[in-house]
Amino acid sequence: MTAKVRAVSAKRSGKGRRRAGLLAAGGALALAAVTACGGGTSTGSAAPQQGFTEAPQAGGALTVWVDSTRLAAAQLYHKEHPSVKMTIVTYDGDANGSNYLQTKVDLFDRTGSGWPDVVFSTQNNEVSWAVPAAFTAPLNKGLIPQSTLAGWATGANNPCLVNGTLYCLRNDLAQTVLWYNSALMKRWGYQVPATWEQYEALGQKVAAQHPGYLVGSAGDTFTPEIFMWASKCGANQITGAKKVTVNTTSANCTRMASLLDTLIKDKTMSTSSVFSSDFDKNDAGKILMLPGPAWYGGALFQGTFKTPKGQIAVAPMPQWSGDSAPSVGNVGGGTWLLSAHSKNLKAATAFLTWVTTSNDYQAKVAPGYPAYAAAAKIWLANQASSGYYTGDITAPLQAAANQVWPGWGYGQFSQEAIWASTVTPGLNAGKAIVSMLPAWQKAIVNYASSDGYQVKQ
Amino acid sequence: MPTDTRRPALPVPSGTARGARPRRREQPRRAGRRMLPNPLAAVVLMLFLLFFVVPVLWLVLAATKTDGQLVQSNPLAFGSWHALRVNWDKLTAYQSDAIFLWLRNSAVYSFGALVITLCVAIPAGYALAMTEFRGRRALLVATLVVMLMPNTTLVVPLFLEINAVHLIGSMWSIILPYAFYPFGVYLTYIYFSTALPRELLDAARLDGCSEFGAFTRVALPLAAPIVALVGFFSFVANWTNYFLPYVMLPQSSQFPVQVGLGTLLDNVPQFNPTVGSLAVQRPELALATLLAIIPVLVVFLFSQRFLVAGLLAGATKG
Amino acid sequence: MSSTSTRAGRTGAPFSRRIAPRAGHGFVAAYVVLLIVFGVVPTVYAIYFAFTNAGNRFTGLSNFTAAAADFRFIPAVEHVALYLVFWLAALVVFVVGLALLLHRLAVRGVSRSLRFLYYIPGALAGAASVMVWLFLLDPTVSPIGFLLRALGYDTFGQLIAPGHLAVLFTCIAFWTGAGGWIVVMYGALNNISTDILEAARIDGAGPWRTARQIEIPLLRKWIVYMVILAFAGGTQLFVEPQLLSQASNGVAGRDYSLNQLSYDFAFQNNNVNGAAAISVELMLIGLIVAAVFVARSRFFDAD
Repeated sequence: MTAKVRAVSAKRSGKGRRRAGLLAAGGALALAAVTACGGGTSTGSAAPQQGFTEAPQAGGALTVWVDSTRLAAAQLYHKEHPSVKMTIVTYDGDANGSNYLQTKVDLFDRTGSGWPDVVFSTQNNEVSWAVPAAFTAPLNKGLIPQSTLAGWATGANNPCLVNGTLYCLRNDLAQTVLWYNSALMKRWGYQVPATWEQYEALGQKVAAQHPGYLVGSAGDTFTPEIFMWASKCGANQITGAKKVTVNTTSANCTRMASLLDTLIKDKTMSTSSVFSSDFDKNDAGKILMLPGPAWYGGALFQGTFKTPKGQIAVAPMPQWSGDSAPSVGNVGGGTWLLSAHSKNLKAATAFLTWVTTSNDYQAKVAPGYPAYAAAAKIWLANQASSGYYTGDITAPLQAAANQVWPGWGYGQFSQEAIWASTVTPGLNAGKAIVSMLPAWQKAIVNYASSDGYQVKQ
Repeated sequence: MPTDTRRPALPVPSGTARGARPRRREQPRRAGRRMLPNPLAAVVLMLFLLFFVVPVLWLVLAATKTDGQLVQSNPLAFGSWHALRVNWDKLTAYQSDAIFLWLRNSAVYSFGALVITLCVAIPAGYALAMTEFRGRRALLVATLVVMLMPNTTLVVPLFLEINAVHLIGSMWSIILPYAFYPFGVYLTYIYFSTALPRELLDAARLDGCSEFGAFTRVALPLAAPIVALVGFFSFVANWTNYFLPYVMLPQSSQFPVQVGLGTLLDNVPQFNPTVGSLAVQRPELALATLLAIIPVLVVFLFSQRFLVAGLLAGATKG
Repeated sequence: MSSTSTRAGRTGAPFSRRIAPRAGHGFVAAYVVLLIVFGVVPTVYAIYFAFTNAGNRFTGLSNFTAAAADFRFIPAVEHVALYLVFWLAALVVFVVGLALLLHRLAVRGVSRSLRFLYYIPGALAGAASVMVWLFLLDPTVSPIGFLLRALGYDTFGQLIAPGHLAVLFTCIAFWTGAGGWIVVMYGALNNISTDILEAARIDGAGPWRTARQIEIPLLRKWIVYMVILAFAGGTQLFVEPQLLSQASNGVAGRDYSLNQLSYDFAFQNNNVNGAAAISVELMLIGLIVAAVFVARSRFFDAD
């Protein structure tokens, strides 16, 4: 019995190694097969015109990726152009910090196929990775006529510009204005502030006379895009494809930060997000003023707070007194990208142009303020005639559309995420924003550097 | 938001008491137990019951409220049947019955992979436990190493592999990776090596059975508990996996329900303010979540008898 | 033959195993194919990524040093270390304790229902529970709001302060994970011979002594096994911070753990090499701990 045991053990160790060797060899073969199949992109045979090398044009169905809100646009196009074959795919639109588009494009680049022809993204910073990845096609080198491109609001397409070449088209704007409750203002006899100084003074007055009422909220992740951007704070000056200048301690930043701190201390500026449950429960009915983007009207006042009609009005964003160049911020938007790998450029470009400029979609169906000025006019008129708002909402919104400060760009790193993880916890703990400005700067520098940016401070 | 949800699965207890005399387990009253529970024990059990159950209770009640009631009313108050009906209608209207399509997809992926897993893992675990062959240890080591590798970087090679055989976009791109369930193999290995007496197999072999015959005639009939156990854990792991289908499946019509829930979440105004009229309200999301977890709970109830009971069946022999 | 059959389910001699090695291959063939295709090849590929750069050139350890030099790396290591302490302590103490308590219950129906109720949260993985935790952790709308307010927290933001995160993630992970482990431990307890317990009872041992001196020692193997798996799962912490980050719009839980950092490298920076470096590190830590366990318990032998 013992002899057999020894023999078996010897057999086991010797053959075990061979078996392991077989496993490894099999693995290596499979690996080689995969690497041989993977990688490599298709090269176009057409001469480089229109600024890039086209893939061989084969026609076929147009593949469009949209989020569920823009699904209506793709379906409307299909209805109006039944001869165009379309494959419509809904995805998350890169909302909520998702990197779906970038992930999938990277995978498609490895396998050499699968890219959509036209894709919508809720983010404005897609070109920061899409241009180095050669995914998106240049649009102002012949694909779309300059006369069309001139129809966008001033600076609306800035996030899409890389060294003068336009790589995407803006879908909608989110310019910031001053939303306010006209009924309350009248009842209490207040004047709508035109300058930040007046705004601060009014906030302090409200704290004394009507405690519990709010003139703004600083608890959102997009708070810097409302206040800091409008104040021309240089926290996010994108100066090149991978270059950024960051300065969060300049006068523009500091004075806005101390304005916010003053009002937070007075409790007329909330530190809760406008979408949080405690804001909804405790503060929704106590809003006197709320600086915020154009979509606050629909999404916030009508949708979440269900403020009764006839109360909400719009005024221009306050400015620092003496500032000759009015500036506002911007919270969101969305962009359409055209794939450079598209085998159906003509149909893709036609769809892209239609979806960003047509009145049928942008003016009549789109939920957000269109970036294309002509459609925006009609959109505004529709909003005004809905009867929900009081006073003239078109003039301030239209003016603000052209006043978005161009000194704040869209990098690969998310400013909202940086503010959320750096400043908001401090706000929740009762710290002053002014005291957190250096930490904010450090965080932006860190994230930008780890994303490969050259950072100037 | 992509989440990696493949959780480590759980081991099965082996017969820790060797040489125990067989005891019938179907005894309502066990030796050494008192009829009245210790009050301290009762309090602890109740506290943990509240800890585990109150959030689920909240979720169930949330499905019966309107969004406003969710914020304004008492968290544990019942909403109304009418609100439940409205939420149901709106949920099913979302992309016309997408929720049922997603549930169906989940079922196809999970059960399909489950069948393959059982056909592959049970014989493999049996062989690892009961037979000797070259590479046995290497196989166990390789399985362990692969199990400990985080999933994040496995996605790119997996995608390339699936693409190389042109399976991207088909259900096999999900079912085949799911079917690889190394922990099921380990569970089976432990079970057979501790609970199945060799004497039975030796007797079968002496009687002239082939190896396969010994497996099907001796081991399999005793393997009902481990089949149920591996089946249940494999099913849950497949049902709750988010990341693999998120990356592999291009069409939202192919999504399993976990990814579908992520899609619904992206349309909740509080998470994505620009959704406009297509908003999914939070009570609908709660209802969708409940629909998504019911199959798991049903399967749990069904297999719970096997999960703790019959594992001793093997140990009663010999 | 008879001398080797005294213990159920076990023979010392490999005599019966020697028969039919080729049949063994037949049984594992399908599994080996799946293992290679979906296990070994992706893992080897990932390891390959960890030691090369984007141009497929060998770069030695530079991916590892670059990942370690990232400003989020050291904080992530600290976070995970702290979380592991809370998580392992909570899991071992409460899972074993609850299993013991459930086992003592005289009425089977109650025990069975409690096990089911304890398990239910386990079905709510990932995306499904974002909303649950968003509401649960908000003192203004939470069903446990009175408790949170009594502890001094009035808003969601105050509760998710950075200092509280290790405890919060432990709570969330325990809520989803404990139920399954309790079921397993309960089954292990069922395998303990009732004779031993009866003997202890006759000897006058109370529930504490029985637990300490009989049940827990007999459970030790399974407790250690649970710790191993929980350790690997804990170092690879991902789901809980990701879900809190989503619920809070990035205020808490972003870049909290190493696995999240790896994910960011891979899918935000297209830096699969850096991501693979972190993954390899996490795998190695898990392997070392598992190897200790395997060596001490002779896990790979017959039983």
